[in-house]
Amino acid sequence: MKPGTQKHGKQQTGTIIPMTFKTLAKNPVFKTAAFLLPALGCVLLPHVMTDTYYLGIINYMILYAILCMGLNLILGYAGLLSLGHAAFYGLGGYTTAILITRCGFGFLSCLILSGIIALLFGILLGLPTRKVRGDYFCLLTIAFGEIFRLVAQAWIGFTNGAMGIVGIPIPAILGWSIRTEADFYYLGLILLAFTSITLSLLVNSKFGRAFIAIREDELAASVMGINTAVYKIIVFGIGCFYAGLAGSYLAVYQTTVTPSNFRLEESCLMIIMVIVGGMGSLFAPIAGVIIMTLATEYFRGISEYRMLIIGVIMVAVLLFRPQGIFGTSAFKG
Amino acid sequence: MLTINSLESGYGKIKALFGIDLEIKQGEIVALIGANGAGKTTFLKTVSGLIQATGGTMSFEGQSLNRLAPEKIVNLGISHVPEGRMVFTQRTVETNLQIGAFGRKDKKAIRQDMEKYYEMFPILAERRNQKAGTLSGGEQQMLAIARGLMKRPKLLFLDEPSMGLSPVLVSQIFKTIRELNKTGLSILLVEQNVKKALKITQRAYVIELGRIVHQGNSCDLLDSEQIRKSYLGEV
Repeated sequence: MKPGTQKHGKQQTGTIIPMTFKTLAKNPVFKTAAFLLPALGCVLLPHVMTDTYYLGIINYMILYAILCMGLNLILGYAGLLSLGHAAFYGLGGYTTAILITRCGFGFLSCLILSGIIALLFGILLGLPTRKVRGDYFCLLTIAFGEIFRLVAQAWIGFTNGAMGIVGIPIPAILGWSIRTEADFYYLGLILLAFTSITLSLLVNSKFGRAFIAIREDELAASVMGINTAVYKIIVFGIGCFYAGLAGSYLAVYQTTVTPSNFRLEESCLMIIMVIVGGMGSLFAPIAGVIIMTLATEYFRGISEYRMLIIGVIMVAVLLFRPQGIFGTSAFKG
Repeated sequence: MLTINSLESGYGKIKALFGIDLEIKQGEIVALIGANGAGKTTFLKTVSGLIQATGGTMSFEGQSLNRLAPEKIVNLGISHVPEGRMVFTQRTVETNLQIGAFGRKDKKAIRQDMEKYYEMFPILAERRNQKAGTLSGGEQQMLAIARGLMKRPKLLFLDEPSMGLSPVLVSQIFKTIRELNKTGLSILLVEQNVKKALKITQRAYVIELGRIVHQGNSCDLLDSEQIRKSYLGEV
């Protein structure tokens, strides 16, 4: 059937606008423009927005965007509720901090190793929990997150305890030393682009279809010949990989890492961002990141009470748009 | 082709199957009939590896199926079309079929198979870009069957394909099943619609409370006094 042949029969009002938009969206010139203009805007942003305070907020948004896109893979695509994402974020942070300050590693190798270590720990946690379902999996991830934080706090010889690791030097990649907010903005942008590209390739591959099938119906997926346990572990590990990258970025950006960076509250905040933005759609969590970051910054004046406002936003989203702002209908109701 | 000897299985401590013997030969179409809770679905799930067998032996073309993981059993050539269709409702018809071909590497042949089933079920072709959840019950059943066939199985398990369908659609689904069997595919059909199931199959097993109580040629069972009384509602 050719697209649009059946639409005429239905005579629905309002089909005209989306259809003209669809034809516009298929136009190659429009397509390249729709991609290039925002990309150009992103690249030029630090030249327009020179205020380091605002640029700093945007850097944190990028950081959380990477985290939440990884978490969305676990939560939205594989349907596993993980409340321990901050631990993998922390694993990345500590890996980079320790390797840079004590072993003299370069930033690029630290970045890669941070991702890989988070991935390995993700798989290690996934192995014993592969048969555990739903609520119990969630509890185990909370436990893992807390164990990580407590170890980081107690193992003073290795992690410097609650003081954290301070004085992480200015990172450099292939001679480009990253000092200013704008430099960090570009580094974050590169990481975000890497995350987006690799994730969209993954989700649209045969591999991606397999874990979407698992989320939708585990029984049906396993009678299709999909090894559900193995896939869940792999997806969990990959989601953690991006958390490791984000942790590495945090370490060099903040120049310190402390156990309090990776508390359970962080994991909860990430989950809220993903849910508000929308689960199961690749870029939707970014909307949640932007809204939640702006809200926490805007209401900074009322200090602790802003959590109340975050709660209100969350309840409002769940009431009026349960699938999230840009989420797929898969999570409706 | 498929040989099951004194198979036992159940859920935790509760036993559901008490020694089932069943055989399917190459190219056969066999019915497994019985009332609610007799163990029909449990039997299929045990053979396709979704439930662990607690006793007995199962073999498919000489290969033992005991303790094999579900995905290994699918790869041996047994496709299971689960009860209640279980299509991926949020994915398109096309994606559902692609997931059905999971593990196959021959992209060209997958495409050809897809076109073949689109030809067999024209309604699916018409709706290939529609989400599977928007399809009617009958269309979803056709999709579930086509999805099961995408793996190119040698043996197909159909678990209550007529469930919740209108009489016209039931006839249509049964016609399709018979046609599939004519192409050489062996089929095990689990049904509550006993009369129709016996009409299109060669042999049948009757299961009651986890035990096979009757077996024989379908046409004989259709005439049997006892079967008529217990399953066809005739006095």
